[in-house]
Amino acid sequence: MASYPTSAQLRTHIELVETVERLECWREDQARRILLYGSFVGSIIEHHFSLDRTMPHARAHIRTLEEKGISIANGTVFLADTLSGPKGRFTRTWHAPAGGLWGSMIYISTLLPRYRMLAPLAVGIACCEAMRAYGAANAVIRWINDVLIDGLKAGGFLAENFTGHNSGEEYCLLGFGINVNNREFPSALDHIATSLALKTGKPVDLQGFTTCFLAKLSWNLGLLYWWEAEELHRFSAAPDELEHPLISRWKDLSDALGRRVVFGFDVQTNPQYEAIVQSITGDGGLRLRLDDGTEVVEHSGEIRYLD
Amino acid sequence: MSQEIDFDEILTKYRSDPYNYVDITAPHTGVVDFLVEKGNGVDAPSGEWNHIPGTPLFQISRERNEKTITAPINGIVSEIRIEFQDQFVEAGEKLLTIRHPLKKKEIIESILKEVLYLFPAPETAKFFFAMDIQSRIDQKGAGGVTIRPGDEAFTMSLMKRDTPIYYSGEEGVIHSIYFKPGVSVPQGEPLIGVCRADKLPLIQKVITRVKAEWDAI
Repeated sequence: MASYPTSAQLRTHIELVETVERLECWREDQARRILLYGSFVGSIIEHHFSLDRTMPHARAHIRTLEEKGISIANGTVFLADTLSGPKGRFTRTWHAPAGGLWGSMIYISTLLPRYRMLAPLAVGIACCEAMRAYGAANAVIRWINDVLIDGLKAGGFLAENFTGHNSGEEYCLLGFGINVNNREFPSALDHIATSLALKTGKPVDLQGFTTCFLAKLSWNLGLLYWWEAEELHRFSAAPDELEHPLISRWKDLSDALGRRVVFGFDVQTNPQYEAIVQSITGDGGLRLRLDDGTEVVEHSGEIRYLD
Repeated sequence: MSQEIDFDEILTKYRSDPYNYVDITAPHTGVVDFLVEKGNGVDAPSGEWNHIPGTPLFQISRERNEKTITAPINGIVSEIRIEFQDQFVEAGEKLLTIRHPLKKKEIIESILKEVLYLFPAPETAKFFFAMDIQSRIDQKGAGGVTIRPGDEAFTMSLMKRDTPIYYSGEEGVIHSIYFKPGVSVPQGEPLIGVCRADKLPLIQKVITRVKAEWDAI
């Protein structure tokens, strides 16, 4: 059975490593506040040898506790060494053997809708930052939150909302599949997938990587709450020249801007049009310029690079 | 849905005034600069994905942020509140009206929207049917699928966040589908129109009658 961090180990890492790293760019009071906002991440970390999928497991966990009248801990993380029935978006398969980081987190969002939109970006940013910290300097994000290394997919994420049957509480389940030490892929994925170990040429400390990823998720989700609080404190949205720090970070880590892409809601089965990526909007939308010069903004769907 | 539909009244209404009047309002506060005049023809968005904006109607400027508002539908500018030129207006202020000539298909859709139960999009997002509903539609066609309150009917997709949407209207069959997978639906716009099974013949009668009557005009 693989080793994963406990919640206490994650807290220690955040205090000793993540906080120190963030102080290079942020004032200490800001950094501590942001990490305090994100401190729900990994409040409980539950580890399994094998699961079918972690998302249904998270749903069942919520259902069971609600039926007993017990509150669900925000930030509860479920990890499994292997998944027997992993899936990606739509009807796509995902390969989840031992060596990868497979899991889900229960996220109870109290953000206002306009701030909640960016949560899916946060998880991709956290993964990309963790991959870079573990040697994949060329890890990048493809809109919305796929993480690629040298053009091959190394991390994918799902977000599914779920309403508690008893409580009516709205839960968001953030699912993550990150190829860390797994090195072999089915033939259908062989030419489009890679792993951190394959790209860095050495095995990765999975416990350390998991801790790093969750710490960075704590920071990036914390940024959402911090920015919302800052704007509410000012009683207005930030002026145009003030960009959401999560959007700025996404731009730093993405290679999408300026690329020629094909866009589609389900781009593999139904590509819709080709365009050039112009920018990302303040609410996370992708601004695309079509060949006839018109611009569109998409908030849902996916892209594949053509150049 | 009412038991009886007065076909003559409906048809007389559309015969005498076969137009839809679309009010265009200020999306937010700001100073208005009109780009059209009363009587001007305006074009709807066009292009394969409706990505080419319609005719520019006015600019609205707030805190040096200038925004051009374009026509959502084709027609003639039938009314314009020119007194607001260069004036500061509140969000929601009606600025002009577009008179849109209705086609037969649009008239049928308008009537159906009056008699069907319309289930609206809870947020501006992209939608697709829940897997169970989709497989039943694939097997039987939408008209053969009964939907009940509490059924997981759609998945709403926004920023790669999928949310199940549960149907909350009256039980019935899915008569009309107003969305396409992969195309954004504005908040409040209908996703499906639902009809009680026993009312289906009546609905079909409406469609047949309108088609026949409209051709005769």
